[in-house]
Amino acid sequence: MTRELMAPLMFGGLVVFMLIGYPVAFSLAAVGLFFGFWGIELGFFQIELLQALPERVFGIISNDLLLAIPFFTFMGAILERCGLAEDMLDSMGQLFGPVRGGLAYAVIIVGAILGAITGTVAASVIAMGMISLPIMMRYGYDMRLSTGVIAASGTITQLIPPSLVLVVLADQLGRSVGDMYAGAIGPSIVQILLFCAYIAVLSIMKPLAMPAVPLEARTLKGWPLIRKCLWGMIPSIVLIFLVLGTILMGLATPTEGGAMGAVGAIVLAVLHHKEFSRRGKIAAWVALAAITLLAIPAICVWQDAWMPAPLVAAGGAFLRVAQTPLFIVFYAALTVLLLEATFIVELRGLIREACGSTMRISAMVIFILVGSTVFGLVFRGVDGDLWIEHLLTSLPGGVTGFLIFVNVFVFFLAFFLDYFEIAFIIIPLLAPVATKLGIDLIWFGVLLGANMQTSFMHPPFGFALFYLRGVAPKEVKSSDIYWGAIPWVVLQLILVGILIFFPGLVTSFVNTGPTGTPSTIELQMDEQRNTAPDAEGKTEDDRAAADLEKAIREGK
Amino acid sequence: MRNLLALSRVIDAFNEKFAVIANWLVLLSCLISAGNAFSRYAFSLSSNAWLEIQWYMFGAMILLGASYTLKKNEHVRVDIVYGHLSTRTQIWIDILGGILFLLPATIIIAWLAWPMFHNSYVQHEMSGNAGGLLRWPIKIMIPIGFWLLSLQGVSEIIKRIAMLTGHLPADVHYERPLQ
Repeated sequence: MTRELMAPLMFGGLVVFMLIGYPVAFSLAAVGLFFGFWGIELGFFQIELLQALPERVFGIISNDLLLAIPFFTFMGAILERCGLAEDMLDSMGQLFGPVRGGLAYAVIIVGAILGAITGTVAASVIAMGMISLPIMMRYGYDMRLSTGVIAASGTITQLIPPSLVLVVLADQLGRSVGDMYAGAIGPSIVQILLFCAYIAVLSIMKPLAMPAVPLEARTLKGWPLIRKCLWGMIPSIVLIFLVLGTILMGLATPTEGGAMGAVGAIVLAVLHHKEFSRRGKIAAWVALAAITLLAIPAICVWQDAWMPAPLVAAGGAFLRVAQTPLFIVFYAALTVLLLEATFIVELRGLIREACGSTMRISAMVIFILVGSTVFGLVFRGVDGDLWIEHLLTSLPGGVTGFLIFVNVFVFFLAFFLDYFEIAFIIIPLLAPVATKLGIDLIWFGVLLGANMQTSFMHPPFGFALFYLRGVAPKEVKSSDIYWGAIPWVVLQLILVGILIFFPGLVTSFVNTGPTGTPSTIELQMDEQRNTAPDAEGKTEDDRAAADLEKAIREGK
Repeated sequence: MRNLLALSRVIDAFNEKFAVIANWLVLLSCLISAGNAFSRYAFSLSSNAWLEIQWYMFGAMILLGASYTLKKNEHVRVDIVYGHLSTRTQIWIDILGGILFLLPATIIIAWLAWPMFHNSYVQHEMSGNAGGLLRWPIKIMIPIGFWLLSLQGVSEIIKRIAMLTGHLPADVHYERPLQ
């Protein structure tokens, strides 16, 4: 038994142990510990290597960034059941319906808006499958087209910030989430345009697959319709600003953004509830006015590079004077709305359920990370990282060869694994190689994020298809859902191709200027709190553990 | 068997209590984190103690909740093979997995984590940040969480064996968790 054989054996063991079907988190930990003790037995390293484990677990729970996972999940769990998506789909469908393919455009746009509010696929796919699919069927849309567009538009949530995939990837790649979000904006827009373009082309080539809805089918016309659209949009846009805007402007860490989003989601649920009182309505308008007054000058100051100078100065002056009182008004209104939530019985139940499912999902995800940490510790102990690096750097084609290989690899893994399993198990092995090849890790992360969209769309295991199957009417055949997904998977892969050859689409959105970027804020926070991740995304504890590991390795 | 099943029920009930705490921690940590952000915007006030309590709650939520998640069978599996097996084989996988994978891993980590808590407690270890919190209350969560998980593992194994012997209806319904 030589040391060189351990890493390939361990990797093989990982595959076998996972395929058995016992929960991944514990299988991973078991592979790690099994090879760990075997390695100690064979004298490859000392017991001290395993004693680093509790410190690693502590490092995981003390990681501020991972706190965003429960927050975004909670936000999704609330929005999933509060009726927001239904209202938006209804009004948008009426607005676009009379155009050929209009219902499909409405689904794409609502999917994008929902994606910008929350980070979970389930919410959008379930809502659209329940509301839009029956309408599309009633007006004679092609079945495969309808199911495909719904699954794909729901899945786009994974790419549009604030997506959980990007948080997890940022954590594993050691980059700031704000930069990752900024980098994903361009690709998200391209993906939406690709989807719309596909519908537009199809509407010319196969007009019968997507007939226009007759104008008489509109129950709302003119001003009431526009008002209904706005009523669905404005609170959502406020929430997007509150979450995404503050993260991108560097005002909030992703964790805080997630927490505000969760509070915002409760407020949205209150606004959409029919038992919503008059007092609440007044509070909502006051809050909206206050936040608008704050947001406009804040945007002027943020985009000072191309705003006229007097406007920037005026905005700054206004903020200095009015910031605190306006915030107090805003918080007071918010408190009224939150209290409203506790009065409505149905919402109390909703919140309780959301807490429960959030807790279980977070525990599940974090335990996979714990398991992969155990695995990773021992895998590096037997020089597995060097083995992988050697394998991947000897690929033909240099950087492009590496990227194509990685993307094909992830695409096929996505048939079996979910995104967080890929992120926690595979990414830590790939990241050092990518760094060594001089690949921009933000670009790399967004690229993988775009690729992992396909893991939701692969027949027959894709999550989005699975949810859609759950809510689709009985007339929809499973084979329709599977076949319908394929063109959209191709569109997602086209995006991956575009990103490989045009990295500027990602990197040019990442703000590297000196004013108010997320990275400078994080640096300042770093000085206050030394547990915050440094530029490499490592905390003090991580570094201590890494040093220990290195010392053990050298003393082998 | 009857005694074992009684034990399993006690463990389940015990871990359900912790799950309730974990559920509340989700909401509490949300409100506290949002409150931290809001107070920094409006009044430029921030406190390390309040920032740290956020992830204390997160850690407690995860570690106390993991055992209930195991009870609900919501730890994600690779079900490409598992999903096509007979119920009996699935039960066998769960029993062997519990004995060979889960229990060794959780017991070893719980056992290794105790000295970390103990050192922290003896030394009155404080956070490195000004105004930060005592460290041992969160460090003790790691052994507690992993012991609870080991207990739940035992309970799950008992229930699976009872399913094989016909003392319990065979129910290994697994649905991949929502995301």
